[in-house]
Amino acid sequence: MADELILDVQGVKKAFDGLEVLKGIGFGLRKGETKVLIGPSGSGKSTLLRCINYLTVPDAGRIYLNGEEVLDANIDSMRARMGFVFQDFNLFSHLTVLDNVRICQVKVNGVDREAATRRAHHELERVGLGDKAAAYPAELSGGQQQRVSIARALAMDPDLLLFDEPTSALDPELTGEVVRVMQQLAAEGMTMVVVTHEMSFARQAADEIIFMEKGHIVEQGTPDAMFTASEHARTRAFLNVIAEHG
Amino acid sequence: MDIYDVLIRDFPFLLQGLGVAIVLLVALLSIGFVLGMAICLIQLYGPRTRLVQWPLLLYERIFRGIPIIIMLFIFYYGISGVFDISAFSAAILTMGLRSGAYQSQIFRSAFQSVPSGQMMAARAMGMSKIKAIRHIIFPQAARHAIGPWTNEFSSEIKETSLAYVIGVVELTRQAHYIITSTQGNVLTVFAVVALLYFILNRTGNSLLYAFERKLAVPGFEK
Repeated sequence: MADELILDVQGVKKAFDGLEVLKGIGFGLRKGETKVLIGPSGSGKSTLLRCINYLTVPDAGRIYLNGEEVLDANIDSMRARMGFVFQDFNLFSHLTVLDNVRICQVKVNGVDREAATRRAHHELERVGLGDKAAAYPAELSGGQQQRVSIARALAMDPDLLLFDEPTSALDPELTGEVVRVMQQLAAEGMTMVVVTHEMSFARQAADEIIFMEKGHIVEQGTPDAMFTASEHARTRAFLNVIAEHG
Repeated sequence: MDIYDVLIRDFPFLLQGLGVAIVLLVALLSIGFVLGMAICLIQLYGPRTRLVQWPLLLYERIFRGIPIIIMLFIFYYGISGVFDISAFSAAILTMGLRSGAYQSQIFRSAFQSVPSGQMMAARAMGMSKIKAIRHIIFPQAARHAIGPWTNEFSSEIKETSLAYVIGVVELTRQAHYIITSTQGNVLTVFAVVALLYFILNRTGNSLLYAFERKLAVPGFEK
């Protein structure tokens, strides 16, 4: 069914030391959709993203990937189908770029080494780093490292990509190259959930923007609706501040 | 016969003593490696229950907190009273157990120096904890561990001479035999012995440093 949800998040709650960070969040994502989570620091966006692949285990609520519930028992195979891109890249620092993109294909998905190598080269070309296969992470700029980490996630042939503030650790002049790769992926029909402060990306690539504050979804809608005719004063105030500083 | 003739005549005995010291060293480091790695992995990734963690902590504290010479006496005279054990086996056992306590801490700090994001990224890609440790954490921790492990190697070479006190015929005891049989010449004989220990130490260190350089990753912080 074309209408079926790739990702279905229902009633997710999470508290840390009694402080409730997520107060029952739900949203869904269809194939090829890009949703962008925005909101002030501490609103729970990153925690929500981490709850989706159980890097943070939710206290309550359910997550379904392609109709199959994410559980402790199947977490490794579920994670293999959800790529995760970290704010600070987390490339495997003892491995070359090629091995970074190859290792989980081989060790997790059981792809044979030759096919994994081809796929790795293909994904590196896709993010514009075909010539860096032999380099080590520490020899690359932050923007290049983040593009490798996107290639690493893509090589697993995921149903869904999760981005946790992928440009927040980068110098302003390096965010562009990462944002362009993400825009290209969105245009190619990759299914993505993106936590970001890059409003240009949200405006241009998102099918829907979800504005979160204090563990709730305040408002959600298309970029047009959110940027021009937001119903909530709080959303407008946030977007104005971002527009002035971003 | 002057002392140099004696030294040349008895040099094979010194080499034999050196051989015993090397076997003792390799055996105790191997026991220590297996024990130390197991303890480190359980301390870092095993169940957090006191039932598991306290005995390990107790073992590690005891073996790092008591002089090795006392341990040797306890193990040799204590155990040989109940259970027939040679001085050599007692030395290997005691020193291996103690090295395990030290090596567990070397490994633990090496594993802990791998940034937590590495484990997180490996798990987020779908690796099980064991796969993540094996393919991602261990190779990085091993590189961090070689430097401090070289210290352990050096200090254990020197400590093998303490097996002397329970009667193991290693290098130091062979030297003592020569001194006793020639009445004196302490300085000359021990100078030769010191040189042998020194050469062994430097050779081992050079090999370990070469290994460390071979594994070095460009831009990877030690």
